[in-house]
Amino acid sequence: MSIKRVLIIDDEETIQTVVQFGIKMAVGWDVLTAGSGVQGIAVAQTEQPDVILLDVMMPDMDGISTFKALQAQTATENIPVIFLTAKAQTAEKRQFSSLGVSGVITKPFNSLQLPEQISRILHWDGER
Amino acid sequence: MKILLVEDDDAFIKVLTRALKGHHYSVDSVKDGEAGWTYGSTFDYDLMVMDIVLPKLDGISLCKRFRAEGYATPILLLTAQDSNTAKVQGLDAGADDYVVKPFDQAELLARIRALLRRSSSNPMPLLTWGDLLLNPSTCEVQYKGQNLALTGKEYELLELMLRDSQHVFCVDELLEHLWSSEDFPSEATVRSHIRRVRQKLVASGAPHDFIATLHGRGYYLKPPESSESSVSDGWVRAGTSAGMGMGKAGFSEASATQPAVSDLSNAAALDPSLAAQNQAQYLAFLNQTWKTTQPNSLEQVTELLQAIATLQTNALTPDQQTHAQQVAHKLAGTLSLFGLQKAVHLARQLEHWLGSQDALPANQVELMHPLVQELQHELQITTDIQPEQIPQGVSPQLLLIGADQEFEQALRAIATHRGVAVNPIPFQEVESASSPADVILLHFPGANAGHAATPHLSLAQSLQRLAQQYPEVPLLVVSDRLGLCDRLEVVRQGGRFLLDLATPPEQLLSIAIQALQDSRHPTKVMVVDDDLNWLGTLPTLLKPWGLKVTTLADPQEFWTVLQMVDPDVLVLDVNMPEINGFELCQILRSDPRWQKVPVLFLSELTDASSQQKAFTVGGDDYLCKPLRGGELATRILHRLQRIQAYAG
Repeated sequence: MSIKRVLIIDDEETIQTVVQFGIKMAVGWDVLTAGSGVQGIAVAQTEQPDVILLDVMMPDMDGISTFKALQAQTATENIPVIFLTAKAQTAEKRQFSSLGVSGVITKPFNSLQLPEQISRILHWDGER
Repeated sequence: MKILLVEDDDAFIKVLTRALKGHHYSVDSVKDGEAGWTYGSTFDYDLMVMDIVLPKLDGISLCKRFRAEGYATPILLLTAQDSNTAKVQGLDAGADDYVVKPFDQAELLARIRALLRRSSSNPMPLLTWGDLLLNPSTCEVQYKGQNLALTGKEYELLELMLRDSQHVFCVDELLEHLWSSEDFPSEATVRSHIRRVRQKLVASGAPHDFIATLHGRGYYLKPPESSESSVSDGWVRAGTSAGMGMGKAGFSEASATQPAVSDLSNAAALDPSLAAQNQAQYLAFLNQTWKTTQPNSLEQVTELLQAIATLQTNALTPDQQTHAQQVAHKLAGTLSLFGLQKAVHLARQLEHWLGSQDALPANQVELMHPLVQELQHELQITTDIQPEQIPQGVSPQLLLIGADQEFEQALRAIATHRGVAVNPIPFQEVESASSPADVILLHFPGANAGHAATPHLSLAQSLQRLAQQYPEVPLLVVSDRLGLCDRLEVVRQGGRFLLDLATPPEQLLSIAIQALQDSRHPTKVMVVDDDLNWLGTLPTLLKPWGLKVTTLADPQEFWTVLQMVDPDVLVLDVNMPEINGFELCQILRSDPRWQKVPVLFLSELTDASSQQKAFTVGGDDYLCKPLRGGELATRILHRLQRIQAYAG
């Protein structure tokens, strides 16, 4: 069975915890967590997750800088990144897609449905 | 490899499509010559196969039209007429080959392969690159003698890249060639396919950058180690180290157990009791988490109260204001996990105000203070999380207004399959509609509807309400009132489409999804003009229309910038030093890849002959300066809409 590995980078511990729980319960995937962009990049390099969920607005190093840093490194450039963002920011979504982000998941989300959403964005559900 | 089949015989289409798909070609088929022209001139094909006897426009004329318009795509003619005159006529019209019906399928496929080979930069029957070998006649792919198990799309991807192995493929190009026009693939689709092919190559011992990424440009086949020095094309090579990235574990999962993943994630969807159980556990967990989150969130509210108190006496420093905005943002994000909608809304409003201007004036206190207090109160009274609060669905939401149950069910069945959530509300609630929506479908019964269904609001009124409530959400109206006045009302109120009640749900959904995608993908506009002042104002003028603008003042840079930007539409000034706009357009159209991008000319010249010239060189529209930004935006958007309508 294919156990995917998801890395969530969000400075809010509550979000990390709930996402981790929801995904594990829904499909049993492994969820790695990081509380900052810098920490997230380090985890991504060593752990090579299948996908990174990245909060856009974080203090110090925001989602966009983190994404660019991930893209700039050979070890992490091929890991798909999905931004987590608030629904209101539609203008930003345009910007994200031009950055080369794999997709955007808007808050609020139900963590139980995240795996389905991720699979759809990354076409892990085959060729249908 | 993408093939257009123009043929009016259903049985024949079926047989041939199956044979072609069996050989991993992606096929679009149309049944008359005019449709053939529409498709062939709108999408990029690697080959067109057409019958001679066709409704509306015969194959010979169609062939001539393509050639006259500068399309170099190989054309294979099919016909029942086995006479030399017919063959000569066909070949003279610009066809590349000619097959007489009835024909042997294997022969036809071999001829197709031969034509594709001739047009590709790699005319060998076997395609190779380093240790990779692809055999188009057997559809087998090997790396160092080891067979690669590839899906259809993965195979097509490799074949395409091998056929033009010196080329850097941008994402759009891959989309164009590998997916037929009725699919709605995204850029992420391409990336995920690339990723999977890479994984499979790595698993067979290929370097992980066998397919390399050229940032901002696309993907290319990295020259094999031994011949690396012989290829010097001046590109900056991205990433050279091998061995990083995907390991073998990734591969074995990717090929063998892909369906299992989807089964897994759909397990809950298929088994309602499992879903309910999961939800219950999740809810319990949320409740438990809320116990620790609540005090933290209240503390954040206190921070906001302090910021407001500071603002009352002094101005906030920029740092303090930014910090307060971040606090509000975080609150909104956290609270949304628990589905505390009212609190989320309050936090968002605060976030918005704190970010709305640089130095917040003290009078904002009166506005913000009650909000923070209300937020505090909301958090204090939330002792536990209710099941109905949990956010449902992250799928795009289609707000369906006023549809009957039968329609709703039909739409929902298809929508679920395509990952769209349908949220129906009765027409009576159109005024108070507030649920989230990514696209709206308003079912408006007209004159023929029964008495009970007669709405209390007019079409214009309801559209007005929706436009206020959902200013940026694409709106589709379905009605039996399709007259000019109704259409006028719909478009005046910002409605995107007015469709017949009889439109099948599949089609409605496709239109809705298209509208949804349009609203999510910015349109890239490239403007070439030597007037720097005008150029400087454009990005600001066009931005509100969802257009992403790249400006260029020096026509000499045109080709380079064009490739980099890959625009959806071009705006060219006519009078420029060295190279004028007409010439730029001719340069553009000299490359088959740029046949269909719309070109708008912009000029001070109002004379008829200049305008005539604009269309002769391949322009699509001609605008006279001076021009307001809004006017330009509308013309651009109209042009694109026309193209989409044509295509789809």
